[in-house]
Amino acid sequence: MPGVGIGQQRPSQADREALAVLLSVDGVGPLTLGRLVDRLGSPAAILEAAAGTGGAIAILDGSRATDGEWRTMPRAVAAAIVVAAGNRTRLLDDVRSSGLRIVARGDAEYPSRLLQIDIPPPALFVRGSLESLTRQHVVAIVGTRRPSTAGRRTSSRIATALARADATVVSGLAVGIDGAAHAACVTEKVPTVAFIGGGHARLFPKAHDRLADAIVEGGGAVVSEYAPSVEPTKGTFPQRNRLISGSADAVVVVEAGARSGALVTASWALEQGRECFLLPGSIDWPTSAGCNGFLRDWHGLARIVSGIPQLLDDLGLAASAGLPDAAERGVPIRSTVALPSAKAVLAGRDAAQVAVAEALVHGAVTADEIVAVTRLSIGAVLGALTRLEAAGLARPVHGRYEPLGPLAAADPAAA
Amino acid sequence: MLATLLSATLVALEGRVIRVEVDVAPGLPGFTIVGLGDASIREARERVRGALRNSGFVHPPRRITVNLAPADVPKSGSAADLAIAVGILIGSDQFTARPGRAALIGEVSLGGEVRHVPGLLPMVAALARRGVRRVIVPAEGLHEAQLVDGLEVVPAARLTDAVDVLRSRRRAAPVVPDRVDLAPATSLAGGRPGPVLAPPLPPPDLAEVRGQAEARRALEVALAGGHGLLMIGPPGTGKTMLARTIPTLLPPLSDEDALAATIIASVSGDAPIRDLVRTPPFRTPHHTSSYAAIVGGGPRLLPGEVTRADNGVLFLDELTEFSRDVLEALRQPLEDGRVSIVRASGAVTLPARFQLVAATNPCPCGHAGEEGRCTCAVGAPERYVGRISGPLRDRIDVWVTLVRVPGAAMVQAIEPESSATVGARIAAARARQLGRPGRRLNARVSGRVLRAISLLRPDAARHLAELADAERLSGRGTERLLRVARTVADLAGSDAVEDEHLDEAARWRPSASRPLLALPV
Repeated sequence: MPGVGIGQQRPSQADREALAVLLSVDGVGPLTLGRLVDRLGSPAAILEAAAGTGGAIAILDGSRATDGEWRTMPRAVAAAIVVAAGNRTRLLDDVRSSGLRIVARGDAEYPSRLLQIDIPPPALFVRGSLESLTRQHVVAIVGTRRPSTAGRRTSSRIATALARADATVVSGLAVGIDGAAHAACVTEKVPTVAFIGGGHARLFPKAHDRLADAIVEGGGAVVSEYAPSVEPTKGTFPQRNRLISGSADAVVVVEAGARSGALVTASWALEQGRECFLLPGSIDWPTSAGCNGFLRDWHGLARIVSGIPQLLDDLGLAASAGLPDAAERGVPIRSTVALPSAKAVLAGRDAAQVAVAEALVHGAVTADEIVAVTRLSIGAVLGALTRLEAAGLARPVHGRYEPLGPLAAADPAAA
Repeated sequence: MLATLLSATLVALEGRVIRVEVDVAPGLPGFTIVGLGDASIREARERVRGALRNSGFVHPPRRITVNLAPADVPKSGSAADLAIAVGILIGSDQFTARPGRAALIGEVSLGGEVRHVPGLLPMVAALARRGVRRVIVPAEGLHEAQLVDGLEVVPAARLTDAVDVLRSRRRAAPVVPDRVDLAPATSLAGGRPGPVLAPPLPPPDLAEVRGQAEARRALEVALAGGHGLLMIGPPGTGKTMLARTIPTLLPPLSDEDALAATIIASVSGDAPIRDLVRTPPFRTPHHTSSYAAIVGGGPRLLPGEVTRADNGVLFLDELTEFSRDVLEALRQPLEDGRVSIVRASGAVTLPARFQLVAATNPCPCGHAGEEGRCTCAVGAPERYVGRISGPLRDRIDVWVTLVRVPGAAMVQAIEPESSATVGARIAAARARQLGRPGRRLNARVSGRVLRAISLLRPDAARHLAELADAERLSGRGTERLLRVARTVADLAGSDAVEDEHLDEAARWRPSASRPLLALPV
């Protein structure tokens, strides 16, 4: 097993810093680093070797595969390590000035679930606290970056239900399903963890910088296995996906198109022995094609989400009391997690706002529809929408309106 | 022999009196025109030669020199043709007349007809200001020239008519100088000279637009306050249709504005003018239009679309497809209501107090926001609308996004409000604004006046501050919000701007500047 050398004992501060320097080199990943550590002893030792005379040769030699084959890293990478060793101070300043901590394998804080996966990252660059990953239940919610309005709300509701059932939600900070899941946790004021597919200094998507700040302020963390300056690329996201599934007990795919990256996460989950849940959808709906296809291809392994209480139940979390006709259908109800009702969320708001908010919860999306349902004047509807938006309960998306925050998590059946 | 006559030329929107001096002298036959004339003036030689021969006169085989004075005013166009032709006749003694204080304006054809020229109205007005008593104009432009008070207008359909009038052999039917006729609005309908293409479609009534309550309201608010409007929406959602209803929604122009509009219509020369233009102009240049077509200019300093839309609406469909230069050039007119065109020979400033109405797709494929239909990359819609530069964006007060109306709503029995109903509200709201201190539409009152006329109560002022904070509005953004709220209040007939007006106005702010994911505050 490559890389077992790292993390067998508690790493020293010098090792952590050495890891940060080495990981900032383009071409050095967990595998190369593992081989180097096996041969040279520790990350700090690698840097020493690089800084010494004939550094590049020593490094090249150290990277030779131990399985007998004469394979080394490319010369250019070895040379880059020598350069990085020279720039050590500046690289570490970058890390520190971005407010990042380096959590290396072997540190107590290193997520224990990640140690069980095939190629655990040698070190994580962390903004915030990883404590929430030590909870008993950690669930990943992933999905398309271009969800339907309904999919976005479903993501919010599942995340809210999980948060209320004391599970930690992890995801990938992308726009769409990921963002909705994180935002629901922020609204619920519980920690959530985001694994990003590039360096912290290259946060992608930029539009989620406020969300990232809110996650960190809320006691959660934004985590990357890449050094701060690493650009996110097509290749980094699928690699990152193994951390999302690997740090959780189960992955829930809310909506995924036929070629969605969320399916990569689902595949990782099966490979890593995690549970994998997908929400089925209409066969005519492009945003559900990936979920439906995956359920068909992995029949017997991938599981269906037939409702939020059922999901909680399947995950071994308390089931929701908000399951309307569960008793009739003989579904066991174990308990107590209830999604917020629209009424409770809207307490203290005037009649127009309540009417408009309820129309939104019940599926009205355009101003025309809200006017038709509420019979208010267009001016009054628009005014109410402004108030709801200011309160973080609704927002416009390309001319349509959707509930947001606690209102997005509100159970339409209970409203 | 020397003959001196008066005529006029056009410099941008203004008429200038020119003296046409024709000297027909013995010598080698030739025909020279001096006095800063452009190509169209030089071509007058050929037109005049043909017109004289074909009207039964002789083009004298002598040395003809025409001087257009004053020599420093660049002259263009064919308005001096008639004066040149008559000057040659007098100079070569083909008839004797004392034109005295009479002036001649008109283009001649090879056959000897007198043709209409653009800008007749300002040219005649310039002659009237110089004390000219009598002006001979193309018959087609009689009504237009008669809009000017204080001089006698004589129509001439042919060169021979003009000669007859000057010989005084035939007393033209006494043409009483009309007072400016302030009749009710009439449309600019009528055939333009030359082959007539398909007549323009009549504007649709607002009642024909189904659904789109939000966009209809945005249009109403924008027109009521003269605010810039941007409609964003997928193709086929009715953006252009809504814009085309604008002529049915605007009240007729006031006397002063109608005069300005008539002068511009005259110079544009789109159609003969029978009466003061009372219909606010509605211009819809295509997005491939050149810089000069939009801003104005060219060798003859023609007014561009921004000037032709003065006191009316300039509708730019597919705003993001207009060239960057054109869009940037809209900044000055949007700011000061006029446009300066600078030439080496000097600058002219033309009025351009238009209201901007624009439409654009939400993204390159056009389907952003329609589930499963948009094929653009994530973030593409924001970048697409982001092509509209900040300064231009700042000048658009009302933003609205349209969504596709489902088929069921299209055939619904509920009859939407008609243009007449909404137009009456707009007219009432505009009347309120023009009756207030400042006497301008809300979009154009100064910031200080705006605060004074908003009559914000302390709690409404606090609410404004809250909205501005929540939206992270700049000072300018806050003022814009208040401006639109003032219009919403005017539509509601309210003297003071209240919370509910501010709430509604807050919906019309730029949508592209909003974060992708609004966090609960």
